[in-house]
Amino acid sequence: MPDKRTTLANSSLLVLLLLAVITSLSMGTVQVPPPDVLQALMGNADPMTAFVVNELRLSRVVAGLLSGAALAMAGCLMQTLARNRLATPGIIGIDNAATAFAVASVVGVGLSLAPSAMALAGAACATAIAFGLAGANGTRGYRFIVAGIGIGAIAGAVTQVLLSRVAIDAANAAYPWTVGSLNARSGNSVLVLAIGLAAGYAILMLISRALNTLQFSDAVAIALGTRLKATRILGLALSVLLTGLAVSVCGPVGLIALLAPELARTICRPGKVPLTASALAGATFMVVADLLGRTLFSPLEIPVGIITAIVGSPYLLWILLKPSRRSLT
Amino acid sequence: MSPAQTSTLAADRITLAHRHFTVAENLSVALPTGKVTAIVGPNGCGKSTLLNGLARIHAPAKGSVLLDGKDIHRLPSKDVARKLALLPQDNTAPEGLTVADLVRFGRQPHQGWMKQWSNEDQQAFDHAVQAADVAGLAERALDTLSGGQRQRAWIAMAVAQQTPLLLLDEPTSALDLGHQIEVFELIRTLSGQGKTIAMVVHDLASACRYADHMVAMKAGKIIEEGTPAEIVSPELVQELYDVSCDLIQDPATGSPLLVNVRRNSNFSTA
Repeated sequence: MPDKRTTLANSSLLVLLLLAVITSLSMGTVQVPPPDVLQALMGNADPMTAFVVNELRLSRVVAGLLSGAALAMAGCLMQTLARNRLATPGIIGIDNAATAFAVASVVGVGLSLAPSAMALAGAACATAIAFGLAGANGTRGYRFIVAGIGIGAIAGAVTQVLLSRVAIDAANAAYPWTVGSLNARSGNSVLVLAIGLAAGYAILMLISRALNTLQFSDAVAIALGTRLKATRILGLALSVLLTGLAVSVCGPVGLIALLAPELARTICRPGKVPLTASALAGATFMVVADLLGRTLFSPLEIPVGIITAIVGSPYLLWILLKPSRRSLT
Repeated sequence: MSPAQTSTLAADRITLAHRHFTVAENLSVALPTGKVTAIVGPNGCGKSTLLNGLARIHAPAKGSVLLDGKDIHRLPSKDVARKLALLPQDNTAPEGLTVADLVRFGRQPHQGWMKQWSNEDQQAFDHAVQAADVAGLAERALDTLSGGQRQRAWIAMAVAQQTPLLLLDEPTSALDLGHQIEVFELIRTLSGQGKTIAMVVHDLASACRYADHMVAMKAGKIIEEGTPAEIVSPELVQELYDVSCDLIQDPATGSPLLVNVRRNSNFSTA
């Protein structure tokens, strides 16, 4: 069935994302008019403009775009698996665990694994522990979420301990990233994220029909021919992969995973898991939040994680407190 | 319009357990092809568990469920979904989902990532919404419908699967009398089109009226099996529900009717 509403939603989000990217490339200490941005991207600008756009800003915008998309997709996926809108990687503690592991590698505790690998390992550990503690219910029900919140708190404490025990310079360098920032990204992590995101998205599109049936009860999903266990395990693994890789680039900007899928679900047709729309919305949120963080109090820079927390926290409260008859709570 | 092929479904000495608690042991049952089978029994007797076992929702600890003679848990899930549809008890749906969206899900077992919505899917869809009489509700959201309408929409989804077998878990629970009759008559119509149907029914009277074949369960065991006229007796009712009754024949349909149902013969006022 061609689905006009979802197509319209996705195209609108894509336009918004492009606008956000161009605005972000044009704004900063040196203002570059949008037409010059386009010229620079096509390789026709003067060396000065080309340097500002392509060298200084583009890699940061790309990093934000990719990590926002990955976090939002991971959030949408985990919400679907848990059938609970609160069950995003940020709340389950996966972000924090990934951060703790990555910080351990950055400030050096004798491990030389790259941040991407360490963040992935942290994400996988947190998920495995939350899953184990949740018992037979798996990702369903509140035990998974409560266990995850606990793991997140412990991982957050571990990060603080690590930072307090290293030289002040190293701690200073790692700090902005632990609250979520696109300033400390490494080129390699961004490349690994890009590959992981492309692969993850492709697999998710292949299993999207099965994922759609997870919105019903288990019995309905099985009756419609979904391989329940396989789909869940694959979904959970992809959610961990996307979160870990994104955190290795931008740190724990967890609220994107809550906000973006929510927007996507509102504007897309019900009944389909809005993965593409979530990814586009997450990318847009991240690029815009980073733009605000860079420019609002320039030259002082506010980490993107703080911007999303300021915008996202009231929204989280609203979700928790509003009377709801939605099936996803 | 209905699929010409038939399939057989049987349980072969299955034991069904929740964790370590055995609900039913050593059950064997075969659904008569083309007939409506009602599974009846008191609360907690294991009738829903048996239905979920037959529908491969609940894997048996021992024994096997055979679909066309093959172990259902070894068959590809999608192949099974093309032969067997289920209307479960818990049918929550995403908010805002329309009847048409729901019925389209019924075509999922027939689609693949390369195979999009086809003419065949559209025909099955049209047939299903007509059979379940929800064509006029197609664009309505499920959460705006009455209980009876919603149940018909779910049945339409199962019908759209175009399976020779249809299992229903208490299809009329929480429905008022009018809606109950509506759903049971729809089930009879589907049976008339050649489907093999099994349903868990709470109400013995409805089971007598609408089923061709009856499986009576108590405490995890099948205690009687046969046509309602053959097996329903005051003794069976006493054993199943611990109540006394008299039986007469429904003058309109010939099916057994329970009358003078009372808690226990000892306290009879007669």
